[in-house]
Amino acid sequence: MLFIIRKRLFQLFIVLLVLSIFTFTLMKLAPGDPVLTILNADEMLVTEEDQAKLRSDLGFDQPLYVQYGKWMLNLAQLDLGKSYMTGKPVWDELMERLQITIELTTFALFIMISIAIPLGVLAAINAGRWPDQVSRILALIGASIPNFWLGLILIYLFTFKLQILPSSGIGSYSHIILPAFTLGFTFAVVYARLLRAGLLQSMSEDFILAGRARGLKEWRILWIHAFRAAILPVITVFGLSIGSFLGGAVVVEILFSWPGLGSLAVEAIFNRDYPVIQGYVLLTGIFVVIVNLLVDLSYYVIDPRINRKEEAL
Amino acid sequence: MEATIEKQIKNAGDLVHTAEESLLEIEDLTITIDSVKKDLVKQIDLSIKAGEMLGLVGESGSGKSLTATALLGLLPSSLQITGGTIRLGNHQITSLSEKEMRQVRGKEIAYVSQNYQSFFTPFIKIGKQFVEVIQSHSPTKKSEAKKIVRYWLNKVNLPADRVFNSYPFQLSGGQLQRAAIACAILLRPRLIIADEPTTALDVLTGEKILDLLRGLQKELNCAILLITHDLKHVMNRSDEIAIMYGGQILERGRTCDVYQNPAHPYTRLLFQSRLQLSKEVTKELRTIYGEPGLIAEKGCPFARRCPYVFEACNEIPQIKTVSDAHWVACHAAN
Amino acid sequence: MKINVQMPKAIKLGIKIKNENHMIICGLSFLTVIIFITLLGPFIVPNDPLSANMSERLASPSVTYPLGTDHMGRCIFSRLVIGAQATLGITGLVVASVVMIGIPIGLVTGYIGGRIDSVIMRLVDGLLALPEFILAITIAGFLGPSLINLMISIVFVKWIGYTRVVRGIVILERNKDYVSAAKVSGSSNWKIIRRHLLPQIISPVLVLAALDIGKVILIISSLSYLGLGAQPPAPEWGAMLNDGRPYFQTVPELMIYPGLAIFFVVLSFNLIGEGLRDKLDVKRH
Repeated sequence: MLFIIRKRLFQLFIVLLVLSIFTFTLMKLAPGDPVLTILNADEMLVTEEDQAKLRSDLGFDQPLYVQYGKWMLNLAQLDLGKSYMTGKPVWDELMERLQITIELTTFALFIMISIAIPLGVLAAINAGRWPDQVSRILALIGASIPNFWLGLILIYLFTFKLQILPSSGIGSYSHIILPAFTLGFTFAVVYARLLRAGLLQSMSEDFILAGRARGLKEWRILWIHAFRAAILPVITVFGLSIGSFLGGAVVVEILFSWPGLGSLAVEAIFNRDYPVIQGYVLLTGIFVVIVNLLVDLSYYVIDPRINRKEEAL
Repeated sequence: MEATIEKQIKNAGDLVHTAEESLLEIEDLTITIDSVKKDLVKQIDLSIKAGEMLGLVGESGSGKSLTATALLGLLPSSLQITGGTIRLGNHQITSLSEKEMRQVRGKEIAYVSQNYQSFFTPFIKIGKQFVEVIQSHSPTKKSEAKKIVRYWLNKVNLPADRVFNSYPFQLSGGQLQRAAIACAILLRPRLIIADEPTTALDVLTGEKILDLLRGLQKELNCAILLITHDLKHVMNRSDEIAIMYGGQILERGRTCDVYQNPAHPYTRLLFQSRLQLSKEVTKELRTIYGEPGLIAEKGCPFARRCPYVFEACNEIPQIKTVSDAHWVACHAAN
Repeated sequence: MKINVQMPKAIKLGIKIKNENHMIICGLSFLTVIIFITLLGPFIVPNDPLSANMSERLASPSVTYPLGTDHMGRCIFSRLVIGAQATLGITGLVVASVVMIGIPIGLVTGYIGGRIDSVIMRLVDGLLALPEFILAITIAGFLGPSLINLMISIVFVKWIGYTRVVRGIVILERNKDYVSAAKVSGSSNWKIIRRHLLPQIISPVLVLAALDIGKVILIISSLSYLGLGAQPPAPEWGAMLNDGRPYFQTVPELMIYPGLAIFFVVLSFNLIGEGLRDKLDVKRH
């Protein structure tokens, strides 16, 4: 267990290092002068002195490695600088939006699970029959449909035609249904297939036969004995695809005007608000590593044999 | 022709079970692969009395494990019982519903498998799986169930507390097989099916497990169907043996009778191919010609490997009585 | 003794996909039609995809405009056909570059092993934590939205997957007897890689690439939809969806057609990819 935590912490370190160098380099490579952006030079008259003063205030006149070092020191104190647009500290702004995004992703996750598990189980116990084929076709559709397009169709149906759900904004549960479903659905149907494959695999294990021979009820066999082994590959793939999930969240946030992290990032991109973009990228990196750590730790809860395998290493 | 054979089988069967009613009775059991209509088990008859042990001996692919699965009502959906009946006590197993069958499994018929590694679900503690079995068959308080589990774990000479709280992978092979036996007898079943329970164990551990089974049987007065490919496992333990080949029973009788007077060429070859300590160290070890899978499609299934094969072997052999409660299906036997 | 869970592969729902062959055939025939249309594009389009005609905006389908016109009066059908070139061309280029970068690095690190391997793999593990979509957003964000930047960012992330797969296989094969035998008989490292290891990685890479093409198309169109990919007035499918967004309450066709186009192209690649995976028995990575 310690081994895996150490491994993930090391990964976190690498991710942060690579990301920080990456975004820092990009920032320096980026076209346009941030000083002019901050001073809003397009619309106001800006003197040379103003520029020079701001430049030295921001430390832009120092060598790159000094700038990077200072930036990293600040980063260690959760100081990501200030947004060029609002002037507010980036960290505060991120945290404010993070909450809203977490609301969306949690709900999407909930929808995802409540589609994936019943669908996967139904497909597995009816392998080869129509529920299985339906799940197979749904999975093909889910893997092929652009989720923003799915969202557009849902808006068209539920907002314009049926007029039962709002298409944008936040506030009530009715606001969260469409975006969360859009985000959750494409993943859910693919995970249902994975769960089906896992269940078919584990239902053919000898211990299932032995369990039946002991006279256990079929639902216990399925949900307690077979399910645990089957869920592991699904969790693994979830850890691997958490990135696409977050990416999908960006698109969905824009589509449904959901004022979360993704919207913040896209706004920042169009406004060339570099500190905010940097902050967003770093935060996402950390988030991905943490989710993967949780995925790793969940293995220990689900399958106690893993501890022993690790000891053997 | 068919009818006379059937009649003869019946008669032979009648000879085997004497006056006493047997606990398990399999009659004419036929198991077929649905898709290709091929019979994997053909019209077999077996019976066991309470308190007795029947050794079912055969090579892999002879259909012996399939017979066991059919007894449990757990044949895969691609296979089907297409003929015959199975009776356990007063249950007609072949006509029970799935729900009724579930209540029979574990409670009346217990199963110990060859693969002790995956007898228990790997990520659930053993004690919990025992309690689960008890509670699946009758509503029992957890503390009550625990007591029963402890009792039986002690009975099979396992450290009850430690095993109760262990995961399957934390026990050795021998311990696991003991635990599997304890789990099987938990509800005092009337029949235990032990499918090659020692194959995956080393010889000494295996012997101990078989002795344990035999000892527990005396106490529970249950019947045991011991399935094995190894004659020596059943020679000095089982009351009766049945030799199976290609889905058919070739010879069946009291163990001592069969041992003293093996009537089927296959049985004789099996005895001769055993490794044994004897004074004639130089005696050559007999092997049986051909591959185990070589099964004649019609007539005697062993015909293609039999050293005494002759024309008549293309026909299904008649059942011949060798002595009281000992019969053989072979044209060459007399 | 196992319970054989039956897994018949027959599908009888609308499309009859009996097994992996049917999936591949189905995908290939979709794809052939799409590629055919794409290649013939410039010759079959009835109108200039870029020429706006404000008097004909949001027109219904007619002989001149088979699928009607968009908010600028441009022919939707022509834009779709020409847009296929952009989408498929970019995707093809991206996947080709990814394969060209990923395979050699995987071969070399896997074959040589040792310190170089572990350093590269640690870095790669770190990079793997970065969602490709986020990275693409970042690059697009800093360097400005454009198709080239979009391509660079996808390649930057995608090669890692190929390197890992190739390296995994090479490490597995490297220690097998036939490689040792080849070494003993004096084959050069280069020859061993080329003759013995390269053939082993072809089918997994093929499957990975087929499935990735679909994903890349989805990423490109998503980013274009956000306005971070193809820039107007270029007829790219994702960008067309973005253009149509304000009008889709009244003219839903503006978003239906490009969406369907994306869907069918991705679907055909997914059919081919999954069919190949089952057929070549390649495990998921």
